[in-house]
Amino acid sequence: MRGQDEAVLFWDGVSVFYGACRAVDNVSLTVRAGEVVALTGPNGSGKSTLLRVAAGVCQLDAGRVWIHGRERKSDPRAYARQVGWSPQQSGLYEELTVEENLRLFGRLQGLYGSRLHQNVQRILDQFGLGPRRRQRVGTLSGGWKQRVNVAAALVHSPPVVLLDEPTSGLDGESRDRLLVDISRLREQGCSIVLATHQTEEVAAVADRVVQMHNGRLLEPCTDGFSASASRQRVMLWGQLRCHPPRFVLRLVRQRIPDDVNLELIGKRLRLCADSPETLGHALAELLREGVAFESYRMVAHRVTR
Amino acid sequence: MISHGRILYALIIKDWLLFWSDRRTFFFSFLVPVILASAFGLVFERPAPGTASYPRLPVSVVVEDSGPFTEAMVRELLVSPHLQAQQVDRATAMVAVRRHRVPVAIIIPEGFEHAATQRKSLWERPKSESRPQLELLYDASRRGEAEWASGILAEILLKQLCSQQLSPWMSADWQSWLPFQVVTVPVAYHSQSRFNTYTHSFCGMTLQYLLFWGMESGLLFLRERRGAVWWRLRAVAAPLKTLVAAKVLTTAGVGCLQVLVTFTFGWLVFRVTIDGSLVGFVLICLAMCLLAAATGLLVAAWGNVEGHARNISIVVILSVSMLGGLWLPAFLLPEWVREVAMVLPTTWAMQGLSAVTWQGAPFRTVLPEFAGVCAFSFLLFLLAVGRLHYLEKRSV
Repeated sequence: MRGQDEAVLFWDGVSVFYGACRAVDNVSLTVRAGEVVALTGPNGSGKSTLLRVAAGVCQLDAGRVWIHGRERKSDPRAYARQVGWSPQQSGLYEELTVEENLRLFGRLQGLYGSRLHQNVQRILDQFGLGPRRRQRVGTLSGGWKQRVNVAAALVHSPPVVLLDEPTSGLDGESRDRLLVDISRLREQGCSIVLATHQTEEVAAVADRVVQMHNGRLLEPCTDGFSASASRQRVMLWGQLRCHPPRFVLRLVRQRIPDDVNLELIGKRLRLCADSPETLGHALAELLREGVAFESYRMVAHRVTR
Repeated sequence: MISHGRILYALIIKDWLLFWSDRRTFFFSFLVPVILASAFGLVFERPAPGTASYPRLPVSVVVEDSGPFTEAMVRELLVSPHLQAQQVDRATAMVAVRRHRVPVAIIIPEGFEHAATQRKSLWERPKSESRPQLELLYDASRRGEAEWASGILAEILLKQLCSQQLSPWMSADWQSWLPFQVVTVPVAYHSQSRFNTYTHSFCGMTLQYLLFWGMESGLLFLRERRGAVWWRLRAVAAPLKTLVAAKVLTTAGVGCLQVLVTFTFGWLVFRVTIDGSLVGFVLICLAMCLLAAATGLLVAAWGNVEGHARNISIVVILSVSMLGGLWLPAFLLPEWVREVAMVLPTTWAMQGLSAVTWQGAPFRTVLPEFAGVCAFSFLLFLLAVGRLHYLEKRSV
């Protein structure tokens, strides 16, 4: 993990009230450079509000939020440049095309000319949106719309990305594609905070899982790594040469331990396990059955419970 | 560092793209006003007085008496340039009036000849019991035409009486013996100006559909304000004043384009001209575009559910359009309605537009109308922005 000692985003004793309702209650949390933090919890636990606070669209009743040591009120636009926020509902103009939406949010973040063009092109390529660039957002499927929703938050290359329920309402394939995109962002050095209900899914890409309940962190992790409450997970992403037959996968699943999670999305394979040994065992089983890899990479990450 | 100008530019580009991407709004902003203005102009177009196609009042003439005086009068009725008279019997006339085929039937009763010719001079007062009754049967829904026919009948009757009583001294050209002449003079700022129904309908429909465009723009703003996209805009630190300024500039800009398109079409096809001050016309149009933008902001600020906001806005816009004389000239409305309508911006805008188009008014003459429309726009703008600020404080 690159530069993980550097605290990028810091909520310091943040409280938010909606009338008499306490949405976020004295929350302190640090996100380090290149770290992926998953905020989980039931509905109304304050996940989205915490993200909205960091995005600068929700007034604080107490506490402060810093990004790279800068508060929003001191320089709102410089602060906004540091953050890419993807709201839970599609924050896009459905009547405009994918490219027009990306260009709009790029312009609003101060990009113009060749830089705007390059960034939009990069994001279109990165999210596989090139063929759909001239399609109106309103005509896209839910999965593609959500990808554009996330892409619009990243067009200005922010160091901090806030994703509110990015996988909600998506089918398995779309969800996995989006998780792959998130993994790529982490590789690029982005600090990512995800709010989600689906702990198991995001555990594969998150370095830490932080649970919230009634506006509070169940285990306040101001230092970011509470060793007693965390466990190491390892993950392997592989690109296969061809799609293996179903019976091969069924056979491998029978042979590998229960804690190993094996998923196949097209020609992309994901293995997730508690230890490198178990993962190695699963990989060996796959190779023995003739599954040919074009490329693969392993990622270690930590889950806070 | 991102300047306000860049954010404003990005937002204007966005609103412009949204406008062009919405075919329905495009259709209602450019095509519908042109179609309706053309239709209104065509329906209400009247040829100039004195021309062959000038409309004449259709009447049925029923003659139940005979004699030279009656015959002369009937002849006059049948050749009158104001009437399209046809001689029929009473039953046919009744059916024609009842079935709305003619608005008026003139009945010349039995004994009319005797009563009209028994007097020896014009100064002899007739006995009331000996006066015959000339009947005017009229369609109950068209009293105006009955009054019109009554006036023409009185003119022809007096002419015949004068000819008969003063025949030794008066030639057939009896009007040349009158000690005065009646001439009709149209009053406008420009000596050549004539009322043109197309000019009126293009002014009215342009103004009405500017307000409808303002409403559509406001509803778009309302949708943005109530959706996640609003928070995304706020997350990029776009201040409320910049968002409002972008909306005003786009709405007014599209409004200017709308005015240009409709008046260019009117000029090319129906000879709708600006006989007065061009500067005055431009100023009035700019004020109208600002009024449309302020209307849109008002809808966005005070609207809640889009459907409700749309329904209420349509009713209000149609009402102020009708009362402001955008559909039909204001002189057709009752006096009290015209007085009440002075509190509406549409009345001021329409007065200004009429003045600089067909009335040929100079620039200074329309300054009060320009100031009036600007004042109304400013008032609506204040109401809208005040409300948006209140909502902003409450929601953040």
